Amino acid sequence: MDKLERIVDRLASVKLTLVCLGLTMVLVVVGTLAQVHMGTFAAQKVYFNSFWIYQHGLLPFKFPILPGGLTVGVIWMVNLLAAFAARFKYTKRDLGILITHFGLIFLLLGQFLTQMLAQESQLPIEIGQTKNYSESPRENELAIVDKTDAEHDQVTSIPAPLLARKETIRASGLPFTIHVHKFFPNSRITMTPQLTSPATQGVGASMGVQEIPPVTTDDEINIVSAYIEIKEGDKSLGTWLVSSDLGAPQSFSIGGRTFEIYLRPRRHYLPFTLTLKEFHHDLYPGTEIPKNFSSLVHINDPAAQESRDTLIYMNHPLRYRGKTYYQASFGKNNTLSVFQVVENPAWLTPYISCTLVILGLAIQFLMHLFAFAKRRA
Amino acid sequence: MKKKKVSTTPPSPEPQQISWTTKWVPWIVIGILGIYLLSAARPPAPRSAFRMTPFGQLPVLNGGRIKPLDTVARVSLLLISGKQSVRSQGRMPAIEWLANVMFKASEANDTRVFEINDPDVLGLIGIQQSKERFFSFNQLHPHLTEIERQAIQANNVKAELRSRFQRAVLNLGSKLMLYHRLQNTVQLADEKNVREGLLEFERKLGKAMDAHMKNMSSDSDPFTALAHDLDRFQFLNHSAEFNPLPLPGSAGEKTEWIAMGDGALMRSRLPLYHPGVLAFADMGDAYRNDNPSAFNAALLDYTSWLKERVPDDIAHARHEFTFNTFEPFYKSMVLYVLVFILAFCSWLFAPAIFNRTAFAVLLLAFTVHTLGLFSRIILQGRPPVTNLYSSAIFVGWGAVLLGIILERLFRRGIGSMVSAVIGFLTLIVAHHLASQGDTMEMMRAVLDSNFWLATHVVCITIGYSSTFLSGALGAVYLARRVWDPTWNEDAAEALSRMVYGIVCFSTFFSFLGTILGGIWADQSWGRFWGWDPKENGALMIVLWNVFILHARWGRLAKQKSIMQMAVFGNVITAFSWFGVNMLGIGLHSYGFMDKAFVWLMIFTVSQLAIMGLAYASPKTGDFQNGA
Repeated sequence: MDKLERIVDRLASVKLTLVCLGLTMVLVVVGTLAQVHMGTFAAQKVYFNSFWIYQHGLLPFKFPILPGGLTVGVIWMVNLLAAFAARFKYTKRDLGILITHFGLIFLLLGQFLTQMLAQESQLPIEIGQTKNYSESPRENELAIVDKTDAEHDQVTSIPAPLLARKETIRASGLPFTIHVHKFFPNSRITMTPQLTSPATQGVGASMGVQEIPPVTTDDEINIVSAYIEIKEGDKSLGTWLVSSDLGAPQSFSIGGRTFEIYLRPRRHYLPFTLTLKEFHHDLYPGTEIPKNFSSLVHINDPAAQESRDTLIYMNHPLRYRGKTYYQASFGKNNTLSVFQVVENPAWLTPYISCTLVILGLAIQFLMHLFAFAKRRA
Repeated sequence: MKKKKVSTTPPSPEPQQISWTTKWVPWIVIGILGIYLLSAARPPAPRSAFRMTPFGQLPVLNGGRIKPLDTVARVSLLLISGKQSVRSQGRMPAIEWLANVMFKASEANDTRVFEINDPDVLGLIGIQQSKERFFSFNQLHPHLTEIERQAIQANNVKAELRSRFQRAVLNLGSKLMLYHRLQNTVQLADEKNVREGLLEFERKLGKAMDAHMKNMSSDSDPFTALAHDLDRFQFLNHSAEFNPLPLPGSAGEKTEWIAMGDGALMRSRLPLYHPGVLAFADMGDAYRNDNPSAFNAALLDYTSWLKERVPDDIAHARHEFTFNTFEPFYKSMVLYVLVFILAFCSWLFAPAIFNRTAFAVLLLAFTVHTLGLFSRIILQGRPPVTNLYSSAIFVGWGAVLLGIILERLFRRGIGSMVSAVIGFLTLIVAHHLASQGDTMEMMRAVLDSNFWLATHVVCITIGYSSTFLSGALGAVYLARRVWDPTWNEDAAEALSRMVYGIVCFSTFFSFLGTILGGIWADQSWGRFWGWDPKENGALMIVLWNVFILHARWGRLAKQKSIMQMAVFGNVITAFSWFGVNMLGIGLHSYGFMDKAFVWLMIFTVSQLAIMGLAYASPKTGDFQNGA
């Protein structure tokens, strides 16, 4: 066991802490600078939500040059746990240190859980509109909607990354298979038909698709497009162009059932509906500086027997059924309100962990202060 | 954490008996300075028979808040020329310049106020770059279309990607736009007899009413005669830079402030003009015709009317006018320089007298600084830090307060010295930031929360203050080590403990501030941490302070290395405070500063140079603990 003790002792060393701190600082600097060109979303993925940061272009293969945020987090967690096992003294004098570092473990864990579990989406809604879903504007899905039944729509959703693999897609409940012939991670739809266009059905026959390089900056999104062929067994029903830029579904019939296909931002359906009744955008008089944004929404939730109005405005979100709805932005001449919808089961962890860290710091530093004051007296 | 045992507390440099001079010189100096300060609080001496002081005290609505005309004048002149007075004609104060702009367009158009530094922009208007930086509107007038065209083009480019020329030409475009608006706020720029015009409008209204009663057709003369006037008043509405006319609401209702155009148009619904409409017309006519008595009469009548109807706004405007005149931050900046000189002298000779005098003047400077800070809190109705300018004021205030406490505890003149340096530097930074616009601007909706402004922002700013203080102390350590013949182990130990204490303080407040920011973000848009540049900057300060603490705790760095790290903290804090704003992205982008980047670089190099002092050989030899 002596060998194990020595290893743990090594892992608990302050030198390793300093290395972790230093690496984190380097990551933060590099990641922040990268945001200018990459956009916050991409920079986060590359620098903080990854295990390694790779260098491209210098050599024919990619090799890691820096540990990513997740790796540093793991090393740091090991260092902290080892310190609790082998370094910290469990005396009253070191109470502050113990609490602080325990809070830190909790903070790291919480942030990791948030990264893994949190889901954010958007809910753009116009005045008078009723919606029961939110959208992820950067993720797309191919929605196949069975519209045969007048009362219910049956939606089968195929995430865009599955389409990107260009394989044959089978879904239970669908009497046909989907074959992806071409997939464009970012594209531009033109109104001029292309001779090489494989589309034989729908609007695709009179449109063209131009592939363009994918974007990651904050104010641009990718237009995803694909040519898909729908086959019933061996019989081909035709090839359609689907794109997140089309704005409307295309429909076809098969075996007495009517289907709509729609490439759209990924939807997250809600078990209730929201109606936007009013939206207010107040400016300070005589300026363009926004004073307040507020949305009056009506929640209609028959299952929970809720039917009420509520106000969502800056710094005052709606918390309902495990998700939180924040006033994020607006548009269309103040007739469109956009909510940010967040679901994060680990939301409490920063509150708890930071309280612990601050408490620990306060105890530790106050003890020092009193010792100093006593010596001076 | 084990602490090294230190023999004694360092001895203070004062003699046992305090001589008469040592006791009273500080008070005499304070007395003289006090008199100087009080005299500065009085309104400025009048330059002519026109009573510019009550004119500057007139309240108007601009930028969403009520402010005195004096503030509008100062901020506008600052935005256009970079200064609060006009050099030509013997330092014309801003309010006088504004009166010229509003009432005497032809004279104002010849005044050289537009500051243009960019050689390409100068080339655009056909002028070679020379020592002359200020140009008049008439010089720019022939090129207005071209400037506007270039500005529109530059505006289409994304802010971060604009070239220097594009930023400069956009800047000139906005200056010209502001000038144009000021000229067309209370009257049209070229109007000569405003009161006559208003009376004429009244008559036309009367005729149109009669015509309406007689059911005459709407293209008959009485109506078409009005059309031109209606256009003019609408033009005034669209060009208004501020709203000068209050419509006092019934009890409990907020007063609405309207533009001059609307005020004149209201005459169609009311039996009389709003008194402000006629007052400004009379003031303008009198000013143009060099008639001070008429000007003053109209002004004072109107002021009495305002005092009756909107007494709170008059009081607020008066308070802000006094604040503007007193310039508390400029005064305390000067006093900090004096403290520095006195503290420096105390190291050379008569330490007792100079030390006490320096500390006394420091307290006076701090009092003035505090007065200014509190005035801002009252005037804005907000916690102390609401924008970059006020953060600079507060960082200085916090650092000086900590320095005063240090000086009381250790009495070596070090506390006074670093307070003076940080106080002066932060106020200079604030002074330059003031040229970005109204320093008491309204908060955007997402930042509009007094609770978070008072907690998160204040804690972060305290974190900046204390990190700068520990950095300054580290610099003192490194400098004294190389140049001070009285350097010894006790002195080193004292400074080292000061730095350690401040670093602990910094860690606490910067961490607290950072997580409060995270909680605010979580409450506002559902994300505790988003790797936003400003969040990252704050995190860097926390990480660096923690790094120092762990390096010290693990005995992995010598005393002088810790001091080097403390100095580097200045670089990190400066970047976190200003550098992230220059990236222009994320939720924290307040504005753009080109010159500021150069200064940030200069500051960084200076701090690195100070860190380099650690590698020079010490004056009095190495100590045991490797200092």
